[in-house]
Amino acid sequence: MTTAEAPAELDGVTAPPREAVARRSGSAATSILVLPGVLWLVAFFLVPLAIMAVVSVGSVDPAGHITLANPGLGNYTHALDPEFIPALLRSIWYATATTILSLGIGYPVAYWISRYGGRHKVLLLILVMLPFWTSYLIRTYAWVMILRDNGVLNSLLLDSGLIDEPIPILNTDVSVILGMTYGFLPYAILPLFVSIDRLDFSMVQAARDLYASGRGAFLHVTLPLTMPGIIAAGLLTFIPALGDFVTPSVLGGAQTTTIAKLVQTIFTAGRDWPYGSALGFLLMGVTIVGTLIALRSLRREVIGASA
Amino acid sequence: MTERNLPGMSFNEALEEQLARAHWTRREFLRRVAAFGAATALTQLLIACGQAGASATAGAPSTGPTPAGSTTAEATATPAPTPVPSPEDKLFVYNWDAYIGEDTVKQFQDKYGIEVTYDNFPDESTQIGKIQSDGKGGGYDIHYPASTWVPSFVSDGLIQKIDHSLIPNLKNLSTAWQSPAYDPGNAYSVPNFWWTTGYAWDPRDISGSLTSWAELWDPTRKNKMSMLDDLRECFAAGAFRLGLSPNTTSTTELDQILQLLEQQKPLLRFYTATDQITDMINEVVEMAHCWSGDWVQMTYDKPRLKYVIPSEGSIRGNDVMVISSGAPHPIAAHLWIDFNLDGDISAASTNYIGYMGPNDAALPKIDDYIKNDPRLNPPQAVLDELIELEYLKPDDLAEYTDRWNALQA
Amino acid sequence: MSGKASRWLTAFTIATYLFLFAPIVVLIVFSFNDSRRSFTWQGFTLQWYEKLLANTDMLNALKVTMEVAAIAVVGATILGSLLGLGLARLRFRGSGAVQTLLLLPIMTPEIIMGISLLVFFSQLFGLNGSVGQIALAHITFCISYVAITVRARAASLDPRLEEAARDLGASAVGAFRHVTLPLLAPAIAAGAMLAFALSFDDLVVTSFNTGVGSTTLPVQIYSGIRFGVTPQINAISSIIVAVVSIALLIAWRLGAFRTAARAVIADPEGA
Repeated sequence: MTTAEAPAELDGVTAPPREAVARRSGSAATSILVLPGVLWLVAFFLVPLAIMAVVSVGSVDPAGHITLANPGLGNYTHALDPEFIPALLRSIWYATATTILSLGIGYPVAYWISRYGGRHKVLLLILVMLPFWTSYLIRTYAWVMILRDNGVLNSLLLDSGLIDEPIPILNTDVSVILGMTYGFLPYAILPLFVSIDRLDFSMVQAARDLYASGRGAFLHVTLPLTMPGIIAAGLLTFIPALGDFVTPSVLGGAQTTTIAKLVQTIFTAGRDWPYGSALGFLLMGVTIVGTLIALRSLRREVIGASA
Repeated sequence: MTERNLPGMSFNEALEEQLARAHWTRREFLRRVAAFGAATALTQLLIACGQAGASATAGAPSTGPTPAGSTTAEATATPAPTPVPSPEDKLFVYNWDAYIGEDTVKQFQDKYGIEVTYDNFPDESTQIGKIQSDGKGGGYDIHYPASTWVPSFVSDGLIQKIDHSLIPNLKNLSTAWQSPAYDPGNAYSVPNFWWTTGYAWDPRDISGSLTSWAELWDPTRKNKMSMLDDLRECFAAGAFRLGLSPNTTSTTELDQILQLLEQQKPLLRFYTATDQITDMINEVVEMAHCWSGDWVQMTYDKPRLKYVIPSEGSIRGNDVMVISSGAPHPIAAHLWIDFNLDGDISAASTNYIGYMGPNDAALPKIDDYIKNDPRLNPPQAVLDELIELEYLKPDDLAEYTDRWNALQA
Repeated sequence: MSGKASRWLTAFTIATYLFLFAPIVVLIVFSFNDSRRSFTWQGFTLQWYEKLLANTDMLNALKVTMEVAAIAVVGATILGSLLGLGLARLRFRGSGAVQTLLLLPIMTPEIIMGISLLVFFSQLFGLNGSVGQIALAHITFCISYVAITVRARAASLDPRLEEAARDLGASAVGAFRHVTLPLLAPAIAAGAMLAFALSFDDLVVTSFNTGVGSTTLPVQIYSGIRFGVTPQINAISSIIVAVVSIALLIAWRLGAFRTAARAVIADPEGA
């Protein structure tokens, strides 16, 4: 079969041929590798989550306690409130913008480190992470200091004469997306680097030799081959960004409320754990379905591009 | 307790029989006797301390407190029937940050030799979650919940009855606080600090003397105002403007309030319960819905800022000290409460954090600018007008929450 | 393999690093600012560093945070790497489900995860929070990040390399140790770094799992946020940056990075 032959020339950069993989599916190998992690997640994640799922079909009695006296899906129908839609759309917008920006900024940087970092690759990667080993809150408040009307950025721009009046960046969508992108950039750069670093650059060279343009080589060789990293980076950015409510609270304003914040409010000020859980599960459901659909279509594209 | 020689029984068996009749277990009896003995001993100690002054008694004569207070206690106390247990050597306190005098914890530790683990939490839901988590206080001895939680904590068995005999400084409470509605006779709680809600503004940007809630709806101040990120407080502000009760449960009234708040939202820079102090100081906003203590903190950096309790009416509230039902160090806990009720200690706290306490004995030591300011220490007539945010039943609270989320989204 | 980089790409990379470090510079500068809450420069002072060194609560919180992070990184990296490798290599019958399971913790709103663990630990086990409990929680949400990162790399590893080693007489463990592991090392290291950052900064889930005396730095900071982030936090953060930078400098001088990079660059196939 030709497909089994072809990969031999492209060592390590295409999906492994079926036979080799099939031979490996011994259950012993599977267990050792996968079981500890799975067991852990089942014990410390699924079981507690199941408790919350049970809570979500309960309700709060007049004394304020969670009761399962009248279990039902009332909380879920309550959660399907159209009033939530603006916040939900806003969260999706922020997460999408953040992911696109993080990938857009992260990919070139990861590429540069991998391709031109040489001996200093590891150091450069650690330097990417270094700012994130300080406290998240202080970094966010540092952005407040930079972006305020009388903050560092505006002072610089005013002093240099580029603008006449301070630009009100803080407490807007812009400051929120900027802050979120900043926060998620390393979660994009690291997986991207890991995947780009696997790339055999001689393949790119080969494409160029075959008269592909720089852009063509990138689009048809580099990009598809680093797709696993892009997908990983995208997942690790988009999904947590949907749930980020601290950054929009600190850097945002009255008009930048996210759906995560509303979930938070139901639990805290609303003291309604059942309802909050229901809304949370509903959001998780939407996210899972959306992600699986997106992954499936991406996988189709990836396999199509590299075949 | 003299031995009674009941025929055929040892002392212990006789004791158990007596106790069984009184429905106490032996352990319970010993605890109460010990507490009584300790109370007597401690009262003597505390009186001695009071006479020696409120400062740490490092070089004090033998009547001063010692960690293993038993020997000195026995020297000054009336002979106790059973050995007096000293206060435990540790104490676990769970409180808001910077909500106590700067040196209070250290002074307590120095005075009693009890090691205090003083933990903070970021918001009320974490606090209440911790208290409720194991059904008896989450491992801490002392908690500082808002007063409105007390009835439900009592009925859930989360807090224990306070032994007044261990807290002689209770006499320092002003009469208004001797028996609050949420806890008659202060059986389970001791009031801590109280506050009012209002708003602060920068007179450099906004001239004149403001008195109404309507100022926070002024369109000329667009993007220069902030409101508290607290659904009860915001609904209260709206309610007062419409002449309604901040504890209303009528959905029509709530809809009216929501409408009013929706008119306000585009004018606001943000809703926050954590940034109002820094944002006023740094001139990010010109006017901020805030609590009275927030304004005091603001004036430390920007003395020119002003505050008002709006004329349409406003909120007052207080929190309390309670002892967990599962407190690992109950005696130390009582000592802590008593210590904080001391006039000087309470005054030091008030002066540091800007909130008034319920403590008459503290009044002479409280700074004039707090004590004499009717906005921080309103006269009784004004206080009677202010309304407390009452505990809402879950169904009613849900009406608020839904509207608040609709507003925020 | 290292040709000359396009000028735009290099400039872009430098700009990104500047972007990454801009707030750090600001926070370091303001750790010397003579004002508690003001965002404007009021004068130079070392008082925040002095206050920090006397602030046992803050220092204890830092200690707790480090302990938790250390445990969490080790646990999550081991479990997550194995999981990621297993998922990438082996087409077993539950792999789709495991894949979804991996994504779930990332999708769960933090407050739900936090409260679920609070209820789990306090109601089922009577635990009231501790360093260990926080670490358990952190491992739980870090596993996914490590696994997904390692998987991305493992997915493009040719299993025939390990087969070849086996054919040449290596044991399964040996082949794993000497072939697969070094090839996966960058991904594992990257996952570990992510896990550390996640654990160090976690607020919501942690706040529901702290116990007496086991408050972490983010919880401590957020508890005091009403009065502004105290410049002591700036001081702590500056010290952390300084310590890590010095450690990096020493490691660099000692050539540690060259060795690591060699392991990364020199792969048995390709260039």
